[in-house]
Amino acid sequence: MTTKKILRAAFLAAMMAVLCGCAEKKPVLHIYTWSDYIKPELVQQFEQENQCKVVVDTYASNEEMYAKLKAGATGYDLLFPSSYMAKIMNDQGMLQKLDLGLIPNRRNIDPAYMKLAFDKEMDHSVPYTVTITCLGYLGSKVPDFKPTWGMLDREDLKGRMTMLNDHREVIGVALKYLGYSLNTIDDKELAEARDVVLRWKKNLAKFENEQYKTGLASGEFLLTHGYSGDLMLVQSENEDIQIAVPEEGSQINFDDMVIPVGAPQPELAHKMINFILAPQSAAELTEFIYFLCPNLPSYELLSEEIRQDPILFPPAEIVAKLETLADLGENNVKYTKIWDEIKGGE
Amino acid sequence: MKAEARVKLSEWLVTLPSFVWLLVLFLVPTVLVFAITFKPATPYGGIGEGWTLDTLRTLGNPNYPAIVWRTVWLSIAATALCILLATPMGYYMARVSPSRRRLVLLLVILPFWTSFLVRIFAWKVLLHPEGMLKHALVSLGLISPETSLLYNAYAVLLVMVYTELPFAILPIYAASEKFDFRLIEAAKDLGASSFRAFRSVFLPGIRVGLLTAFLMVFIPSLGSYVIPDIVGGPTSEMIGNKIAQRTFVDRNLPHAAGLSALLTVAVLVPMVAITALRRKENPRSALIEEGV
Repeated sequence: MTTKKILRAAFLAAMMAVLCGCAEKKPVLHIYTWSDYIKPELVQQFEQENQCKVVVDTYASNEEMYAKLKAGATGYDLLFPSSYMAKIMNDQGMLQKLDLGLIPNRRNIDPAYMKLAFDKEMDHSVPYTVTITCLGYLGSKVPDFKPTWGMLDREDLKGRMTMLNDHREVIGVALKYLGYSLNTIDDKELAEARDVVLRWKKNLAKFENEQYKTGLASGEFLLTHGYSGDLMLVQSENEDIQIAVPEEGSQINFDDMVIPVGAPQPELAHKMINFILAPQSAAELTEFIYFLCPNLPSYELLSEEIRQDPILFPPAEIVAKLETLADLGENNVKYTKIWDEIKGGE
Repeated sequence: MKAEARVKLSEWLVTLPSFVWLLVLFLVPTVLVFAITFKPATPYGGIGEGWTLDTLRTLGNPNYPAIVWRTVWLSIAATALCILLATPMGYYMARVSPSRRRLVLLLVILPFWTSFLVRIFAWKVLLHPEGMLKHALVSLGLISPETSLLYNAYAVLLVMVYTELPFAILPIYAASEKFDFRLIEAAKDLGASSFRAFRSVFLPGIRVGLLTAFLMVFIPSLGSYVIPDIVGGPTSEMIGNKIAQRTFVDRNLPHAAGLSALLTVAVLVPMVAITALRRKENPRSALIEEGV
């Protein structure tokens, strides 16, 4: 699928190059992002305003994008990695320092979310969207749902629940449930979290990153731990699906905009970032991709339905309990070890 | 003498393409996997400079024996079930009329016309907790409504047997086809019961087919990754899944390489044992020669 998409994008890019060859030479901005992650009309508007061409190429995971760049791919001007990946890339000198003078719209970023970001100074990255790890469930099949991670203890849902197949997400949930930070490196807290997950594991159908979406939509699973954007997307397939952010707090993930070292059009890339951060663009993007663009002045431009959505706009007391997964470097081994114990345990 | 030399040369020339194929696509990657095992891992998922034995030490992970044991028992069970089902099938195919045989053969290889992945997903639909099969079994009172048909080791075993059965049927059929069934008649004439004739004459007669079927099922089973990933649950992880986790999630290539090397050795042991066994019995026969 993905390869096909890439091939198609490459083919379109080649066609465009041929077509543009006859006309005057316009600068070309190469964007590398997730699929369906930018509104095509906005891209067209940007092309007209800046007399340029925009080529959008897509990837399916941070790792795929990272591996491709590591293998020597060049020519991209703007990337949309998750924060943890942006940090890994920046630590290795793969990202440019941003020229904030070219991004006056950066002031629009919602300070409540900026507080949670890694790169608070916007040295090399600017937040594009935020997603929260939530619980999705079938309203008619899960009686007395309560917005707590403790739902994973429910024996009556045994064998019909999933958690993400990701050590940081799963251990992070248990840590939050126990009231600890999901970036803790305290061995005692981690051991407690492990025991909680081992208890939950008895009730799980499986650890699953992809199939939980269709599984929930088809009624195979009754309760799943997943990303808000994904869950909202499958909500359109099955109206019975409900989403909740547990009251103990959760993980919040940022996808950032970054410019790689060696980008051919850094100035145009800065313009694109600034364009996306304009309230009008941010509002259109939130409505189109169903991920929240944390852009304060854009909120009032959103439809009432979106404004009232408790997942896109969780109450302030829940936002206060959200945490970002930090890259733990050497200490990541502690999580890997516990994850092995969880996976290996009965 | 000269003619013999020419035969030797042509033998070499005929072997060369497959030899190069094996060298480039099998031997070189395997050696690389073994080599990477002795390299240090970098925190960014790369392979560091120099050489180290650290990976070998971490392979002593206390969580591994359970996963290795699960991999081995699932593989043995899948192999045994496949051979148990394939032997009567091979016998039947060898005895049936040629037109019927062609039809059955077509049915055996028919699944290969569809993608392996699609067929596994079909099992997910079949075993779906709200699916027909589940409802039928529940209404017959065979299982309780809480029983999950998916996401456990038995679901993995079922789909493994389903996927690998043709690989057991084909060599057993090939060997049965060459079997001289007059030997069974002779055994019966000498007073053997049908079952005794089947066991003491037919089974030894298709031994090579059985051995090939064993290898064709057991080896891919040990390396299973997709099946436990899709129909397995939280406690049906196999070595293949661990290798994938080390590669993609933990970004520890040397550790993944170490596990792969371990798996390669585990596959080579039965291969070498069987070859040695057969050499001892019949010093001039090679492994595949009389088989498929």
